[in-house]
Amino acid sequence: MIGSLAWVVLLLPLAGALVLGFSGSAEPPKALTRVAGVGTIALSFAATLVIFFTLLGRDADDRALTTTAWRWAELGPLRIDLALLLDPLSVLMMLVITGVGMLIVAYSTEYMNHDRDYRRFFAEMDFFIFAMLLLVMAANFVFLIIGWALVGLASYLLIGYYYDRPSAVAAAKKAFVINVLGDVGLVLAAFVMAVKLDTLDYAGVFGLAPEKLGHGGLIPELIAVLLFVGAAAKSAQVPLHTWLPDAMEGPTPVSALIHAATMVTAGVYLVVRCNVLYQLAPHASEMVAIVGAVTLFIAATIATVQEDIKRVLAWSTVSQIGYMIMAAGLGLYTGAMFHFLTHAFFKALLFLVAGVVIHALVGEQGIDRMGGLKKYLPVAWATTLVGCLAISGVPPFAGFFSKDEILARAWDAGDLGKVLSIVGLVGAVLTAFYMFRMFFRVFHGPEPEGGYAHAPHPSGPAMTLPVIVLAVLSTVGGLIQVPTVNHWLDSWLDVSLMADPALEASHATEWRTMTMSVIAAAAGIGLAWFIFAADGGRRRVQMAGAMPALRRFLLDQWRFDPVIDDAVVAPGRDLGDAAYRGFEPYGSGGLVRGGVGVATAAARLVRATQNGLVRMSAFGLVVGLIVVAAAMILGR
Amino acid sequence: MPWLTLLIVVPLAAGIVAALLPSATARLVAAVAGLVTAGLAVAVLFEFNRTVGTGQLTEHHGWASEAGLEWTLRVDGISLWLVLLTAGIFGLALVAGFLHMPARGGAQYLGLILIAEGALLGLFLAGNLLLFYVFWESMLIPFYFLVGMWGSEGRRQAVMRFVVYTMVGSLIMLVGIVATAFIARDVTGQFTFDIQALQGVAFSDTQSRWLFAAFALAFVIKLPMWPFHAWLPDTYRTAPIVVTVLLAAVMSKAGVYGFLKIGLPLFPGGAAFFQNVLVLLSVVSILYGSLVAWRAPTLRLVVAYSSIAHLGFILLGIVTIDGQALQGAVLQMVNHGLVVASAFVIVGIITQRSGREKVADLGGLAEGAPWLAGAFLFVTMASLAIPGSNAFAGEFFILIGTFRHHWWAVFLACLGIIYASVYMLRLFQRTMNGPRGQVSGSTVEMRPGDFVLLVPLVAAMLAIALWPQGVLRTTGPTVDRVLAPAQVALNRPASQVRARVPVNPPEEALPLPGDPEPTAPTPQNTQVPTP
Repeated sequence: MIGSLAWVVLLLPLAGALVLGFSGSAEPPKALTRVAGVGTIALSFAATLVIFFTLLGRDADDRALTTTAWRWAELGPLRIDLALLLDPLSVLMMLVITGVGMLIVAYSTEYMNHDRDYRRFFAEMDFFIFAMLLLVMAANFVFLIIGWALVGLASYLLIGYYYDRPSAVAAAKKAFVINVLGDVGLVLAAFVMAVKLDTLDYAGVFGLAPEKLGHGGLIPELIAVLLFVGAAAKSAQVPLHTWLPDAMEGPTPVSALIHAATMVTAGVYLVVRCNVLYQLAPHASEMVAIVGAVTLFIAATIATVQEDIKRVLAWSTVSQIGYMIMAAGLGLYTGAMFHFLTHAFFKALLFLVAGVVIHALVGEQGIDRMGGLKKYLPVAWATTLVGCLAISGVPPFAGFFSKDEILARAWDAGDLGKVLSIVGLVGAVLTAFYMFRMFFRVFHGPEPEGGYAHAPHPSGPAMTLPVIVLAVLSTVGGLIQVPTVNHWLDSWLDVSLMADPALEASHATEWRTMTMSVIAAAAGIGLAWFIFAADGGRRRVQMAGAMPALRRFLLDQWRFDPVIDDAVVAPGRDLGDAAYRGFEPYGSGGLVRGGVGVATAAARLVRATQNGLVRMSAFGLVVGLIVVAAAMILGR
Repeated sequence: MPWLTLLIVVPLAAGIVAALLPSATARLVAAVAGLVTAGLAVAVLFEFNRTVGTGQLTEHHGWASEAGLEWTLRVDGISLWLVLLTAGIFGLALVAGFLHMPARGGAQYLGLILIAEGALLGLFLAGNLLLFYVFWESMLIPFYFLVGMWGSEGRRQAVMRFVVYTMVGSLIMLVGIVATAFIARDVTGQFTFDIQALQGVAFSDTQSRWLFAAFALAFVIKLPMWPFHAWLPDTYRTAPIVVTVLLAAVMSKAGVYGFLKIGLPLFPGGAAFFQNVLVLLSVVSILYGSLVAWRAPTLRLVVAYSSIAHLGFILLGIVTIDGQALQGAVLQMVNHGLVVASAFVIVGIITQRSGREKVADLGGLAEGAPWLAGAFLFVTMASLAIPGSNAFAGEFFILIGTFRHHWWAVFLACLGIIYASVYMLRLFQRTMNGPRGQVSGSTVEMRPGDFVLLVPLVAAMLAIALWPQGVLRTTGPTVDRVLAPAQVALNRPASQVRARVPVNPPEEALPLPGDPEPTAPTPQNTQVPTP
């Protein structure tokens, strides 16, 4: 029963996308687009809820099931089915994808109302949700990879939504190519598994791996590293993170759904899903954790100097995913998923309110042309404050509990854990600082010079309502897992985490970390207040010239882009040019031209009997037959 | 019903008739003949028994039997799909010809296309080496005229290069064919050109290597594989777009098919000997084709060079000698036919309607051409083998199998996958996106006739993407049989060899007069006699 429902959940968004995509050349009535675009996601969410509560009512051991459509391919011992897996982990992801997805798509009905190609927007959003569901519902690595690539395609389409804008086109291509690099990592990992284990089903791989691959050997480490290449590309981890800030070229709801709440966390999902493999690969796991920590720090520093409201949020997303990846690498799988969940709420919230602000200012995104908006947009002010408090880790908002869980359990997870926990704490200070920098500069302080051309207008109900729902979730979402009080998420995910080391922090660590987190958040917020709000913003102007070299470095985003361009892109381009201009006309072409010359000369010699090369062909045939016939006669 | 003979005779006869008719009637005859042939191919699919790995629906008639040339036709799990591909793509080409006939010599044009179809179908069905050679050479003639008479500027030089290049290979192959029959006679005491009867002949290592090399050279030129590709860019550039579609989608499979029909099963020792060289050259083809496609200036050249890369993948799947890889390669032959055909159709639509060949002269076409943009996006994604596309399934299987034996080749080939996304997106974005170029989108938008061509291609691609097993389950037994001798020659573990290796002459055969005393033969040493 819920097996069939799984297919309904998956295919409804696809149906929405197809109906919208093929509904003729003319733009259909907007009401129809809304019904098809939002209605399918809402139904999909409803079906997911039914699945969730059905599983919740069952015994913990009975909460995983596979449903197969057909045998997709059979190659000797390797059998690949088109099959879906419902288990606590996939259902948690499905709830977020369809639930938050529904809110964001509903929000878009108003946000995109005056934009171009209304129908195309919803077709592509629905397609994204289909692909993302396939990614998390797949029961084997092949369909994981297919979902993985299709979300990349959806992301490409939506980043390049304004396809006549060169910067959007370039950003879309960059995102796509880096994600293909990630896909290659996944496929290579799949090759290793297929060759070593003769199966690509999760059940088969996770069942056989511990016995056949062993612990800490080269093969499990290789698989884990290759999988992480995919995860890092999708989840924008250093050094494959450069596409995500550029991806802000897409409309704001896209940034909220794809580049904050769901798709970019697919890497976290992947590591958590493959927890069995990562437990077999201690070195790869450490590498994952370190990459996450490095990413969270670098991204947080860059976020402190961004002047575009969406880019602040983009770098903050990179940084927050760094926390999740770090947690997953340390074996804190529940912590990673917990932070994914709360982050989906508060980051979607922050992007959507940013959209409200941008909408109110008719497309303006620079925070230095904002200020004093509190009096025009009180709801946006309040909800942004909720989001900023949640991400900064102020109790009792959602982010406090999830970030605290990661930092506390990391502290008790060995020496590396201690170091990374401290990095996370430093990151928390930076997070609070850059978020409140944005908050104070947008909503407080003086209005920009010359004031606003038009009074900023608050949004309508379709945009306001999802924002309020997300604000509520960002406030109370952390309560599902409160240290020493309840462990709902731990017990829910237990079935999916077959190799969970189940690390727990001691009480002493819990309390110490909580205190430190609160101090970190307070320090960050206080500093932001001191610079950007306390003095009416004048102190910011005085400090603008301080530390120009560091500022330059951060504005250049640690110079990843030019270095990657010089080291990776340019050599390939030059090689291609050399091949096309150098080798093609003279190299093999020269050889052939010489060959043609010789052959033509030879043909001229026999022109008395031959006329052109086609006859030569026939001639060759005849000669051949004569040779054969003669040989036969002689051979007898 | 003699399905296989009909498959060859119908297009050949219709081609000759059409060429003599006035163009108005000719185009009708040609389109009907194209559709009837496609129908026959589907009939063969239904007649086919997919549990059998050897040739079936055999037809055998004497022809010039004294010379060993016999009308022997067979279809197996591999040629079945090539026949379907050929009949399908040519059917579409003839429908396209029905919709837009060239102003000059339309009847002859369509007639030649039909003759080319008959020759290609004959090639894929031939069960006799000489018959194979006859069709191999005779397909060159219609293509020579199609490019030489209806091509664009520079066609003379291009077609000259095409013919000379191919001829060099095929004449060497002819020598190889004759030599094969004679040497085999010395081993088995039986003089035959029948391909099935020649399987399992215990050639010496040297013989096997030289014979394999003679055939392989013809095949890699036809593919083409780097560095034998020099005929391809100019030919694809100057040929009428429909002919380019046929060359890229169908004719390129002739070389690949040769490896499967003759190279591996007849000369396993040679295939094993040249394996590493061929793996390396396929990888070079992938990388070279991808890099040049990235920098190529015109739309057609991008697709032409990408085709070299794609064929490199297919060849890699064959020469790696692995069941999974070969399954993937056979699947990818069909996929490549569908993908490259639709890519050239779209390139043809854009270049003909806009009058621009260069990527740099176009831009922003999506505005005003949403259907074309959608179709182009689909084809772009299929061409870069995005997971979920039909081409992904093929590449994925090829690379799994290759990984088992040549992991380094897979890592290099994966660079080709990344480059594919770069050059295909460059092609798509530079033409469809960005600020509007010299031509507006509405001039190139799809017209009803275009849908007739693209919808079947897209439908076939989707069907394979969703259910590759539909193809794999028919090719499996044939692939096992084709591969087994070469696997034994390479001393692969017995668990990977999934078919019986034929032994020729059969072990129970009486020794011929003058034969050396038989040394207790095992399957191993009858396959690979130690010198």
